[in-house]
Amino acid sequence: MASNAFLLEYLPIVIFLCIAGGMSCVMLLFSLLVSKRNPDPEKNAAYECGFDAFEDARSKFDVRFYLVAILFIIFDLEVAFLFPWAVTLGKIGMFGFWSMVIFLGILTVGFIYEWKKGALDWE
Amino acid sequence: MNNMLTLTALQPLWAELFMAMMVMGFLIFGVFKGDQSTRLLTFLGILGLFFVSVLLMNAPLGKEPLLGGMLVQDVFGRNVKLILVVALAVSYMLSLKYLYDTGFVKFEFPILILLAGLGMFLMVSAHHLLSFYMALELQSLSLYILAAFHRNSAKSAEAGIKYFILGALSSGLILFGISLLYGFTGVLDYTQLGQIIAELEGIEKTGVVFGMMFLMAGLAFKISAVPFHMWTPDVYEGASLPVTAFFALAPKLAALALLLRLLVGPFEALVTDWQMVIMFLSVMSMVWAAFAGLVQKNLKRLMAYSSIGNMGYALLGVVMLTTEGVTATFFYLMLYLIMVAGVFAVMLCMQRDGVVFKQIEDLAGLSKNHPKLAYAMALLMFSMSGIPPLSGFFGKMIVFQEVVAQEMYVLALVGVLTSVVAAYYYLRIIKVMFFDAPDMPYSKGFGVFRNGVIIVSVLFAVFYVLRPDALLPFARTTATDLLTPPAIIQTHDIQLDN
Amino acid sequence: MDYIAVFTPLVTFLFVGLFGKSIGDKASQFITCAGIIVSAVCSVMLFNDVILHANSRILFLSSWIDVGTFSVEWSLRIDQLTVVMMNVITIVSACVHVYSVGYMSHDKAKARFMAYLSLFTFAMLMLVTSDNLLQLFFGWEGVGLASYLLIGFWNHKESANAASMKAFIVNRVGDFGLALGIMAIFMIFGSVNFSTIFENVQAHTGDVIKFLGHEFHALTVIGLLLFIGAMGKSAQLGLHTWLPDAMEGPTPVSALIHAATMVTAGVFLVARFSPLYEYAPDALMVVTLVGGTTALIAATIAMTQFDIKRVIAYSTMSQLGYMFFALGVSAYGAAMFHLMTHAFFKALLFLGAGSVIHAMSDEQDMRNMGGLWTKIPVTYCLMWIGGLALAGIPLFAGYYSKDMILESAYADHTWFGEYAFWAGIAAAFMTAFYTWRLMILTFHGKSRAPIEVQKKIHESPKIMLFPLMVLAMGAVFSGAYFYDGFVGEGRTHFWESSLHVLPENDTIENAHHVPEWVKSLPLVMGVSGIALAYVFYLFFPVLPSIFRKIFMPFHLLFYRKWFFDEIYNVFFVKTARGLGKLFWKRGDKALIDGLGPDGLSSLSHRIGRRLGQMQTGFIYHYAFVMVVSVVGLLSWVFLRTNGGIL
Repeated sequence: MASNAFLLEYLPIVIFLCIAGGMSCVMLLFSLLVSKRNPDPEKNAAYECGFDAFEDARSKFDVRFYLVAILFIIFDLEVAFLFPWAVTLGKIGMFGFWSMVIFLGILTVGFIYEWKKGALDWE
Repeated sequence: MNNMLTLTALQPLWAELFMAMMVMGFLIFGVFKGDQSTRLLTFLGILGLFFVSVLLMNAPLGKEPLLGGMLVQDVFGRNVKLILVVALAVSYMLSLKYLYDTGFVKFEFPILILLAGLGMFLMVSAHHLLSFYMALELQSLSLYILAAFHRNSAKSAEAGIKYFILGALSSGLILFGISLLYGFTGVLDYTQLGQIIAELEGIEKTGVVFGMMFLMAGLAFKISAVPFHMWTPDVYEGASLPVTAFFALAPKLAALALLLRLLVGPFEALVTDWQMVIMFLSVMSMVWAAFAGLVQKNLKRLMAYSSIGNMGYALLGVVMLTTEGVTATFFYLMLYLIMVAGVFAVMLCMQRDGVVFKQIEDLAGLSKNHPKLAYAMALLMFSMSGIPPLSGFFGKMIVFQEVVAQEMYVLALVGVLTSVVAAYYYLRIIKVMFFDAPDMPYSKGFGVFRNGVIIVSVLFAVFYVLRPDALLPFARTTATDLLTPPAIIQTHDIQLDN
Repeated sequence: MDYIAVFTPLVTFLFVGLFGKSIGDKASQFITCAGIIVSAVCSVMLFNDVILHANSRILFLSSWIDVGTFSVEWSLRIDQLTVVMMNVITIVSACVHVYSVGYMSHDKAKARFMAYLSLFTFAMLMLVTSDNLLQLFFGWEGVGLASYLLIGFWNHKESANAASMKAFIVNRVGDFGLALGIMAIFMIFGSVNFSTIFENVQAHTGDVIKFLGHEFHALTVIGLLLFIGAMGKSAQLGLHTWLPDAMEGPTPVSALIHAATMVTAGVFLVARFSPLYEYAPDALMVVTLVGGTTALIAATIAMTQFDIKRVIAYSTMSQLGYMFFALGVSAYGAAMFHLMTHAFFKALLFLGAGSVIHAMSDEQDMRNMGGLWTKIPVTYCLMWIGGLALAGIPLFAGYYSKDMILESAYADHTWFGEYAFWAGIAAAFMTAFYTWRLMILTFHGKSRAPIEVQKKIHESPKIMLFPLMVLAMGAVFSGAYFYDGFVGEGRTHFWESSLHVLPENDTIENAHHVPEWVKSLPLVMGVSGIALAYVFYLFFPVLPSIFRKIFMPFHLLFYRKWFFDEIYNVFFVKTARGLGKLFWKRGDKALIDGLGPDGLSSLSHRIGRRLGQMQTGFIYHYAFVMVVSVVGLLSWVFLRTNGGIL
């Protein structure tokens, strides 16, 4: 019985999984049934990002995609870091505040660098 | 609690903070001024490093961990950092003219060296497995980029990639080791780790030993000890020459300091376990480097094997982990670094109109074309092979003395025999320089810095015999401090909810 | 003053040796000559100070080796014995230096020559002023080195190179003995300082050295070992073969090194160790026997040689024999006396011979000389003086010293003393004979030289004759003047404690009371030897060849120098070579090189290539090696900690 109680704690996750699975199934089903399909060569071509949709993944691609992705991740993580900080700001006080300011300052240096280097320009 | 981290409280770390500021300042400055600011940045870097050394000298030292147990600034760390500062400054001196001569001027170069240096500083000071890993990665990432810095060259790119992938593998090993340690002890702080490990028994101890082994394997990669050395010759060969010089001078010392701190701190109780491993690494390094070095044709590869072998000798002193042993290690490394700086300075002179020569046979007839250079190199090579009365001899002597004093005769024997074998490839260089038919002379004008480094290095090698105990006290204080058990300190995390 | 006397030659050697090329020949010659003359003047003043005022001393310079109980210092021992030697050395050396300026005037490397001479002088001074055996050894080897350099000075001559090597190698045998002797002394006395040794000799008279299960009397062993060293340096029978060959060097060198000074180092050594030898009668016996035999055999050889320098060289060897048997019968003063007088007249003879050779355009064979006396009268006169002194004619120096030695040998009243006495008498006769044979062949009769040589015969320049005259003064007066001090009534005051003679061994005292016939016999022998030489070579020149035919075997024996060289060649040189070849071909080449350097180096290379092949350059290989290593290390450590049980 004890183990049952332990498992019960995971019940919300199971429910969540079920709902997520169900939702995606529903969406796929609806788009399959409802959408209009009128393919032409342009539409079947590769995505705008330059990849062939259905090919070997190990092909050459423009390094700029990679660069943008990396830069995005950095700032994405920054946000991920900012979120808990914002929540606990009241507890960590000025020390916490200045710590984050220094962190953001360092990130800004990096940002200035990549901007000046032209990493953000596509051409 | 806010007053805990005022600027004064951070005084022990001013040197590191200053370096970090310097890196950021340089980055902004460089990106606005462009590549022509490289020269200025290099000079500023040397100046800044001087200031860093001043800060280090004035830093309040102690075994008390800082920043919530993350870092420690003690005599050992301070001394190692002083050596590192010199190594960084020499790297700057050696690189500048080369960058301009080969026309590959990038302002990031001095910044990356500085950043790697900052990483090394933190590695030396690390007192917590997390800060340890962060510092290691800061250094390694900078080094990966430096290895591939000459990105137009396929070799350089290959070196970078190889170093990166294998480095990532070693980082993986380290992380796995850390996670094992954390899993079995529940702590990451060195002091606590040591306390807990000392009391472990049975399967838990085995687990910790496993974790330690993974850590050591990863660090063995960083100090390029056999059998984790495979990257070294390729990276040394592929990277551009000043980068190779930098690789030979600085990172290994930092990694060794890191390893030492781990071994005497958290892993003190496991001494019987790691002692065998260190011995194995040491012997393997000496033997492998001695034999593999024999057939090398490329000077940089040769220097790679030389550095592997010398790391083997340095590790000999670590095996015992007595004060004298570690003293011998540091003493040996200092003498070695001074010689290596001279050797690379000579190698950097081997270029003609921007084309760099790096095969051993390119040294042919150097005695005819550049007699001074040839004699300097010859002296350094004699010193490297440990021929008295040059400085290299004293380094080897102190190490072997200590090994014999500890009655590890087999180790001493291996050391002596391999140094005999290794002497061959040093002496072969002399033979090539003095007895082979000369080629065209190299470009004149070696620059003030290079000449200065060569002169200092050669004079040191030659005249060290006059004061053969000159560096010993420094090495001894370093070693003594490392081995002094810290007073029992209640480590306190930053109390966030207070 | 002491320092000036000893170190001036070193300074001049260093200066001229280093800067000789840049300051030129003239300046080099001047500096070295001036230096040695200063040194000589100081020595004379020291003589005054030390001997007349009995002011011997030991000057401490600096400590040298200080390991445990073994401590050695650099210091100068300035006592009577030393001062006598210093005077002989510096005065003769000064004469030779000045003479060389003239003699070497046609040579190219004057500065080098003068520098070597100064080096030699310094080393010799170091030898005689040393206060311990190690410093003595330093000087001993120093003179050996200088001798080697000077014998081979004309290094374009193959024979000179061979001779210099021979001198060096033969001396090595003696030096080995000396080195062993030093070790033995350290073993017994625990010190190599003279003072310590001499003070403690009596305490160790009963000591024995155990070797191969036998016990040997320690002092005798030490005495014999030191004597072996002395034999090598002083060309005593057995280790003498290098001396005649050493005549390949320039004549001034022969005069300085191979007549007056270096070869007497052995005599000095034994005299210096007189306090020790006095307690080792068996060693003294050996010294006497070897000395007497050498005196005799060398004289027989000298009678048959034709090379003017070789005659004098064998004569030197013979006279050294005299000195040694004088030492052997405890007549140390007499030996030193003869050493001094001999230094003067033998240097005179050599330099005179050099003057002759110079005049004859480098001809050394007496068969090609003759009738020179009218052409070079000064040299002739000086040679006469030297010859008379050597033959032991009264009033000349050699008379006093040689007679003293012979009388002492007689007065020793032992069988070996007797032997030495008769050997010495025979040698005295032969000495007179071969000296006048030399004089007559060289200066009298018809000239046998080629015409073009005859035309060029000239008296030597003043700079060569002046030193000869100085030496001639010594050859004439030194005997009579110093007789009293060296061996006469004043000898105890003269030598003080530097020579040590047990009362029962005081042969010099006894020598003053020998029968009259003993005193006059040497003179009779000398005069008759001269007379015979006149008969043989001036009045009836056919006689020698008749004699030669009658005594064919003897003549051959003498002429071929008792076959020493041949015997050594067969026994030592050839066997050594054979052994050497065997070891070289079979041992070194095949065994040691094959397994050792060559084999190891090729093995190392093979290993190196193997390891190099493992460096493939592929990342996955590297990663594989790393992973395998980690796993290997882990299993190793795991098995170790868990005793092999999982």
